[in-house]
Amino acid sequence: MKLLTLPERLGLVSYRNQAKSEIKPHIVVDTEICNSVCPHKCTTYVCPANCYTMDEKGQVHFQVEDCIECGTCMYACDQGAVSWEFPDPEIGRGVTWNYG
Amino acid sequence: MDEKFDCIIVGAGVAGLAAAMTMARNNMKFLLIEKGEFPGAKNVSGGVLWGSDLAKLVPNYWEEDAGWDRYINHRRLTFMDEQSAFSIDFKSSHFNETPYTGVVVLRSKFDRWLADKVQEAIDASDHSMDSFIATNILVEEVLMDSGKAVGIRTGEEKFYADSVIIAEGVNNLLTRQAGLQDKYVPADHILTGVKEIIRFDQNVLEDRFQLRGKSGMSNEFVGFATDGVEGGGFLYTNRDTLSIGLVLGLKDLREKEKKPHDILNVFKQHPVISDMIRGGEVVEYSAHVVSSGDKRLIPKKLYKSGLVVCGEAANLLMNAGKAIQGMDYAMRSGMLAAEAIINAKNTDDFTEGSMKKYQEALEASYVMKDINNFQDAVHLLHDPVMSQNMPNLICDFGRNFFSIKNEPTQKARKMLGKAVKKHSSYWELMKLGWKGSKAL
Repeated sequence: MKLLTLPERLGLVSYRNQAKSEIKPHIVVDTEICNSVCPHKCTTYVCPANCYTMDEKGQVHFQVEDCIECGTCMYACDQGAVSWEFPDPEIGRGVTWNYG
Repeated sequence: MDEKFDCIIVGAGVAGLAAAMTMARNNMKFLLIEKGEFPGAKNVSGGVLWGSDLAKLVPNYWEEDAGWDRYINHRRLTFMDEQSAFSIDFKSSHFNETPYTGVVVLRSKFDRWLADKVQEAIDASDHSMDSFIATNILVEEVLMDSGKAVGIRTGEEKFYADSVIIAEGVNNLLTRQAGLQDKYVPADHILTGVKEIIRFDQNVLEDRFQLRGKSGMSNEFVGFATDGVEGGGFLYTNRDTLSIGLVLGLKDLREKEKKPHDILNVFKQHPVISDMIRGGEVVEYSAHVVSSGDKRLIPKKLYKSGLVVCGEAANLLMNAGKAIQGMDYAMRSGMLAAEAIINAKNTDDFTEGSMKKYQEALEASYVMKDINNFQDAVHLLHDPVMSQNMPNLICDFGRNFFSIKNEPTQKARKMLGKAVKKHSSYWELMKLGWKGSKAL
């Protein structure tokens, strides 16, 4: 059976409010902390939706669009960089599972 | 809405719905609030709902072909190394009898179905016009007045009640806000679950897994499945799909610098797994954190004046090696929470002392009894010896035992001795045997 890449997997997810051009992010990341004091930058690999990425200079970047609300980063980040809330049903992103 | 409810329940997952059903049956006036588009929209589980409590909520649910996917009559626990799988396999027609001892569910479908049943119970109650299930609403705050919960706030709107049940799930922001759990919960006793739903032609699925009617199989995996990270794998048969996934210790994942979605592909490529999923089509990828069942994570106090916490919001979940139990704990705790609040209404006493009866009932129930009794098993399962050395040892022994080579065969005891020396030691094994016999 063909293995799926992460973008292919995320392509199967039903995200909310996709028609809206501007959404209110439910997670705010202080990447200053990631890029100054964090010894592991673990969110760049433990996030199951790859919302945290590292560029060629080793700088951490975050985007909320692909977030599937799993909660992993809220526990994995032990540096206090992640402020995690649930998405607003009207103006936030987040998921609606078809199977769950 | 100026009217005051007897209770506001936050979250229409298994715990919240169980609480709501119990309340509707007892003519309570309540508001059940769900942030998703519909009940179940935000929920992910493995998932098997173990035990027979569902029959208490929805009597004779098996007569209806809706909600749940399959009942379990076939259990399998598999130890894996890179190429092999050695399983303990148990199938019995005893498990065909109702009430079933476990049903596989897909939460987006199951929770919505259960919510319909709750609505029917509301319609039949004295509060058919003023108890509600409200979706698409995010509760941002539990309103407190002189230390007592008096309602909730969503955006600018406030709703008032004599009591609040928090059933918000493992990412328990309101529980933290209420001061019942630390604001930051470290990764130590948290696991990340990743899962795929793989669709098949139903006949192919039924033939491949020897399913008849609505019977189903549950298979748990330890060893190679998790690519060296503590945790395990699972595979459950749904109606015409498979749920396949992993739960991975988050702290270990962080230390080993691995990606959960990569490990899921490693698992899927294992020769034994790839034979099981051949020809299927992935239709959903999901992820969610779960708690490990380690008691250190569970909030010491699950109540305040006018407030109780149940389900995964209280970190009620455990994998002690026999099964991953969480939804059944959620169901029972939801029922007990509702009972405590019904009692509070009857005695007009929503004080902390009255809410404490919920935790006492939970402690006296199988939920906390099992969590307390099986802590050693939880710790043992998270021991690297158990997630790596043991599966390797067992598979190595299996490979030798089942190899016929047209040359003089060693006695099994000698084969086992070799495997033990290669992957562990007798001393290690004795320690493990002692721990295991004590734990289980």
